[in-house]
Amino acid sequence: MSRFILLTVNGLANGAILSLAALGFVLIYKATEVINFAQGQFLVIGAFVVYNANVTWGLPWPVAMLVGIGAGILLGIVVERLILRRLVGESNLAVIMVTIALDAALFGMVLFTWGAEPKPAPKFVPHGSVHLFGDVAVAADRLWAVAVAVVVFVGVALFFQRSRHGVAMRAVADDQQAAMVQGISVNRVFAFAWALAGAAGAVGGVLLASVNGGTSLDLESFAILVFPVVILGGLDSVLGTVVGGVIIGLLVEYTKSYMNVNASQMLPFVVLVAILIVKPYGLFGQVRIERV
Amino acid sequence: MATATGVYNTTYRRDFALRHTKAEYARLALLLVVAVVLPFRLDHYWLGYLDLILLSSIAAVGLMILTGYTGLISLATAGFLGVGAYTTANITTRLHWPMPIGVLGGTLMAAALGAVFGLPALRVKGLYLAISTFAAQAIFNNRFRDWRWLTNGQFSVSANTPKIGSHALNSDFRWYWVLVVITALVVWGGVNLFRTGLGRALIAIRDQDIAAEVIGVDVGRYKVMAFAIACGLAGFAGALQAHYRNIVTWERYDFDTSFLLIAMIIVGGLGSISGAVYGAAFMTWVPAYITRIGQGIQARSSGGTPLIIEKLPAIQLGLFGVVIVVFLLFEPRGLARLWQRTKDYFRIWPFRY
Amino acid sequence: MKRSARYLALALSLSLVVAAGCGNNNKKSNNASNTGSSAPTKSDLKVGAIFDLSGATADVGTPYSEGIRDYVDWKNASGGVAGHKIAMSYQDYGYKVPQAEQLYSQYVSQGVKVFMGWGTGDTEALKPKVNADKIPFMSASYAETLADPKVTPYNFFPGASYSQQMRIALQWISDKNPGKHVEVAVFHNDSPFGTSPLDDGKKYIADHKLNLGFKNYPMPAGATDFVAQIGQAKAQGAKYIIVQNVASPAAKLAQNLKSQNSDMQLMCLNWCADELFVKLAGPAAEGMIGVVPFAPPVAGTSGLDDINGFLKAKNTDATTKGLHYVQGWYTMATMMQGVENAYKANGDNPTGEQIKAGLEQIKDFKTPVSGPVTFTAEWHAGLLSAPMYQVSSGAFKKLSDPITVPGPGNPNATVSGISSGSSSGSSTTTSK
Repeated sequence: MSRFILLTVNGLANGAILSLAALGFVLIYKATEVINFAQGQFLVIGAFVVYNANVTWGLPWPVAMLVGIGAGILLGIVVERLILRRLVGESNLAVIMVTIALDAALFGMVLFTWGAEPKPAPKFVPHGSVHLFGDVAVAADRLWAVAVAVVVFVGVALFFQRSRHGVAMRAVADDQQAAMVQGISVNRVFAFAWALAGAAGAVGGVLLASVNGGTSLDLESFAILVFPVVILGGLDSVLGTVVGGVIIGLLVEYTKSYMNVNASQMLPFVVLVAILIVKPYGLFGQVRIERV
Repeated sequence: MATATGVYNTTYRRDFALRHTKAEYARLALLLVVAVVLPFRLDHYWLGYLDLILLSSIAAVGLMILTGYTGLISLATAGFLGVGAYTTANITTRLHWPMPIGVLGGTLMAAALGAVFGLPALRVKGLYLAISTFAAQAIFNNRFRDWRWLTNGQFSVSANTPKIGSHALNSDFRWYWVLVVITALVVWGGVNLFRTGLGRALIAIRDQDIAAEVIGVDVGRYKVMAFAIACGLAGFAGALQAHYRNIVTWERYDFDTSFLLIAMIIVGGLGSISGAVYGAAFMTWVPAYITRIGQGIQARSSGGTPLIIEKLPAIQLGLFGVVIVVFLLFEPRGLARLWQRTKDYFRIWPFRY
Repeated sequence: MKRSARYLALALSLSLVVAAGCGNNNKKSNNASNTGSSAPTKSDLKVGAIFDLSGATADVGTPYSEGIRDYVDWKNASGGVAGHKIAMSYQDYGYKVPQAEQLYSQYVSQGVKVFMGWGTGDTEALKPKVNADKIPFMSASYAETLADPKVTPYNFFPGASYSQQMRIALQWISDKNPGKHVEVAVFHNDSPFGTSPLDDGKKYIADHKLNLGFKNYPMPAGATDFVAQIGQAKAQGAKYIIVQNVASPAAKLAQNLKSQNSDMQLMCLNWCADELFVKLAGPAAEGMIGVVPFAPPVAGTSGLDDINGFLKAKNTDATTKGLHYVQGWYTMATMMQGVENAYKANGDNPTGEQIKAGLEQIKDFKTPVSGPVTFTAEWHAGLLSAPMYQVSSGAFKKLSDPITVPGPGNPNATVSGISSGSSSGSSTTTSK
């Protein structure tokens, strides 16, 4: 039983991080219908910038986090302005290819700036273990990850419901032309979406680095799991990201422990294909009805 | 350079002929001469790259048919390369059947699996389909790495060096002749495909699949068929590559290779078979040039700047991504379009349009 | 920017790329001789090398590459190999097999005589070519399949094979727990490198009737933690965890074990028993026992004068540079010894076969951090024994002398070197 609890907590924590990683993805898709294959690098860059600010420059950790988030925002805006703006109207595939190439270019940039040697995990994250229910020892950094993710998601949800910018983003996602007619600057919204994705990536990256026990280039391979999450949840649904992330996180932990590691690696993708056949738009995605 | 300056066809045959003017035939003859002379002029290293380009072209043509002409995005091509490779390796090494049977087996197995993995295309479209192929690639990855039966428990399977008559294909030079003929046939087949009803049906599906359904094209069947053709070609290329390299390891059939193939057809220009070849050449040669530039820098700065040596891999990786991004910003419709523009320039000269 | 200007710019940049590439085509002979030869009579010794400086094993690949490169500089400064200066062409290949293949083809076409490889996967993939080209190949992969000259006549490696290290670890566990049945969990990298010693380990237990249980758990790349696998190992009842992986994932595992308050004893084979592991795992590294065919160059180890002398100019020393640096240095030294033997026996232009014979002549080649390296015509792994070191207060301390166990390279050997007395206890969780 304690094993089950341990796996559940770990699964939730991993799921929380996945959801954060997927959030950026979904934000961009919702606003601009672009699939951002470089999202994984946003995570990595965020983690490294925070490490740099915290350790190399010696800034206290709240400031370092702000620097990281700022870097993420800047990255998102730069990518959107310089690259994606030029590709408006081009085929879907060209845009996908550009994000893939961007991923490679950013990887090179990270490698250039920080090198391949893994850096230690952020020290400001609580370490050690917390004892729940007696003999279940859970790593404190995982609980912290869940807490941070919850805060971020609540913030995002409030943002979309209450703030003007959030409502504007939802309007653009719904119907670009109508939003333009209302006077909403679609360009601004696009930039905003990318900036938010960069920021979410930065936070996610720091969480991932702390859970990972180190800041290194292979954080990126974690990002592959983002796809099953967004498909399960629905490519354009923030709630779906949360639910999808939790489900996939839990599923992977359970299969890893009760079956074997190989099954746990394949399972999320089998789920992905199954969902596509049964419920293609995911649990919470908007069903597209085609009109000829 | 002279292409036809207008459309004037008096018979159906002339309408869908592949070449319209004598000058175009002359260009084709020139290409033939270059193809024959090239292997004698290139050194062993670049010849190896040329063989690689030819192999990639076969897979790229398949992917072009699927993605460029039918509009179905597939990120799983490397997986099917692997299917072809493992199948032929197992057939030739464990069953001891001759190589042509192995290659045929590889092609058919890949086509069959392609049809199976193409079934989601009946339910989802566009980016969702792309992601489902991404999942297929992940599943292939996992199976290639962990399914020990496939490799007889070893880390890799070997595939034998094929023989034609008494000549063993054991050098890049000899492989070149075989590959150039095969690639030419595949390209020609691809171009011809789009003169047939099947080809037109595929284009119709890309452009307006609902309208195609309305006029009687069996969209579902043709989508699956497109997957089968494309994956079969990928399996064919993979099987040939297995015999070229003599050893099959799973690292070759990873996401990177799938992305590379997609890059080939996009940079080459979607919707053009020759674009697949241009793209294959570009995407194989650019990393090689970048590597050479890097080595040149390294050689010139030896003993001087260790910084450069440390940073070189990063620069090369980054540069590769930057080159593609810049290229796509300038010409999102690829090399084929660039070539088309060049031809048009000369055709219309001295007018501007 | 005007349209035509844009196209002009694109055309210019493309042609620049083409020109640069073509230009380098002609300069390719320059790449090979980048360490200028000042002895006009003897030709350069061309060597090809690939390193992982940016891929999955870059954490250990980078210091290893520095060791090799520095050895070349040091050797050239003292006149080269039998008077021939070493001209090494090298490149990072990011642990990607296709890159490795292309670099290999390139260097072979440039006329390298020997090749320094790295990873298990790419060494496997290059096997047929290496055998056909007859290029002596020394990899950093210690997979036992590469030590058998009947299968891979041109592959060599100077360490003890992973399988041999596994046998040593298993034998040690068995001897420390006489009369008891002990369960062993083996955590390994999810790749040929990781799975290399598994079957041989199981076979050893069966052949020598050791009272051990053996179960393996892959550690997939990109995993954030190994808690699930630890849970499974606990369910297995494992007392020992043997790790066949590189430092970063092993460090993660150590941290997970600590946060789970686990009392399973962690044992690492050579690629994770190093300073990087200690640095990354922090306090969780305490108590880890490592099977180290190449021992950590702790301060005071004799015989490091060559390296320390060379590194003095760079304001560092062998202990700071670490285990893998020294390992790289002496790997290159071993290869060069083989070439030197070939030069002495066959003159200024030995063939691949002659260099292979030169390598097989190496007997008791001494290095300060390992036992004497010996190659024979029947076995191409340089070591058959390895000592064990333990992490104590953040530094490595010697736990046992070199342990020898019987294996395919030394089928008639007997177990030796395991000291009597209990092990130094499990990884205790001391206060932070």
